[in-house]
Amino acid sequence: MSNLQITIGSQLVNLCSVLLLLTCFGIIAQRRLLACVDLFAIQSMFLAVMAALVAYLTDIHHIYVAAVLTIVIKVIILPRILKQVVRRLDVKRELALYVNIPTGLLICGALVILAFFITQPIVHLGFLLTRDSLAIALAIILIGFFIMVSRVKAITQVIGFLVMENGLFLGATAAAYGMPLIVELGIFFDVLVAGLIVGIYANQIQDTFSSVDTSHLKNLKE
Amino acid sequence: MNWEGWLLTFGQIVLVLGFSPFLVGLIKKVKAHLQCRQGASMFQPYADLTKLFRKEVVYSETASWIFTVTPYILFSSTLAASLLIPTIFTPLPLNFAGNIVALVYLLALGTFFLILAGMDAGSAFGGMGSSREALIASLTEPALLLSLFAVAMTSGSANLSTIVYKTALLQDIVLDPPPHLMALVALWMVTAAETGRVPVDNPATHLELTMIHEAMILEYSGRYLALVEWAAGMKLMIFLSLVANLFAPWGIATNVSPGALGMGLVVYLGKIMGLAVIIAFLESMLAKLRLFRVTEFLGVAFILSVLAVVFFYILRVE
Repeated sequence: MSNLQITIGSQLVNLCSVLLLLTCFGIIAQRRLLACVDLFAIQSMFLAVMAALVAYLTDIHHIYVAAVLTIVIKVIILPRILKQVVRRLDVKRELALYVNIPTGLLICGALVILAFFITQPIVHLGFLLTRDSLAIALAIILIGFFIMVSRVKAITQVIGFLVMENGLFLGATAAAYGMPLIVELGIFFDVLVAGLIVGIYANQIQDTFSSVDTSHLKNLKE
Repeated sequence: MNWEGWLLTFGQIVLVLGFSPFLVGLIKKVKAHLQCRQGASMFQPYADLTKLFRKEVVYSETASWIFTVTPYILFSSTLAASLLIPTIFTPLPLNFAGNIVALVYLLALGTFFLILAGMDAGSAFGGMGSSREALIASLTEPALLLSLFAVAMTSGSANLSTIVYKTALLQDIVLDPPPHLMALVALWMVTAAETGRVPVDNPATHLELTMIHEAMILEYSGRYLALVEWAAGMKLMIFLSLVANLFAPWGIATNVSPGALGMGLVVYLGKIMGLAVIIAFLESMLAKLRLFRVTEFLGVAFILSVLAVVFFYILRVE
């Protein structure tokens, strides 16, 4: 493969990972749950495109499998399950937040800078064409974690979890051109099951407390 | 400065003064068509301005000198800012006179005096509009500066003409798309806020309680109103030129041959008219945000511009 192709390819990979990060900020800034689910689907789409690009540039075929699985599970199946849950529970908006949206955005901006400073010494040692994405992957993991902590509704917390998982996948691809196929398959299965379980769990919370507000779970202690 | 420089500067003044009312008219016309109305002619703003210049000026009893000088300060500072922006030709002869910081604060000077004038006239709505404009201006300023800085860093210069010149020739610049992309989105959001467009403000509103820019200029009449509205049109043109020429300068004239200048003019007018049509489409699709949601909207713009600057470094680890 020619040098030019590699340069353009690595720029496209960078562009995809930046778009992944931007959809994270979209999720932070968005209050409507259905739009959050859509943003997650778009984010997974970018992840699949990035994985396919890396597979094409490096000729490692099992990443193609991961890309296809990402599309099937994270772009089609999981958003559909989450949307069904949102419709059944009839919650449309996240109204009460632990951290308001502008502050949340600022915190996430700080998290990106933090991730950049943490990875800076390591990235120098790398030689893969995806190495610049490592900082972004860490930032996405931190932001996913922040979404889980700062949101009240069970559904947005699941989205935070899935965003973290996307960040991990991006990190694995950036640092080592992906994990072995058997590990990838295991993770996809885990994510799918987690999505299903949380769907049922959200229904249960709704039936018990007539709301999917997870802060009610504090009442469960004896 | 040689005679070509003077001629180009003069041409720039004529272009900005002459074309900005048309842009306002064009947006109104496209919006009218999208609402299945005929709409006023695209040249209506020229007629409005001519009419206003002939009308008598009415002063409020409480108005001081600030009320009288504001339209002139606003108009001249906006016109001065427009001379720093490459439109059909780069580098501009006045390139030495100021960089992006000068541009941002020339525009802020006009906004500042308009805020004072809104309170000066003593109307309740004016004060309300001023307080809202102050809120929005304080939130847009960092986002605007940082998004311009992000672009400036890719070309290693803070002078607009130099940035546009280098980008047009793809010379000595960093070609990473992510910082440009984020700065573009941030600048577009700032444009909506600064020029008083949906989703931040509604330029067509007749309801005083929801007004921002219109509430500040509620007490103005006659030639003062004409100057303020003309300045608002120029500000719109300045921001559209920034978006068009910082991010896609190709086609702009880089030498003074008549062919290149003609081509530059055609491409430039096409670009900003295209952007004006996009604004009209967005205004027809979006609803105005509640005032307290504007902070979230501009928070996103600010974070995007911060990230654009940060990513310049993230993607350049060597």
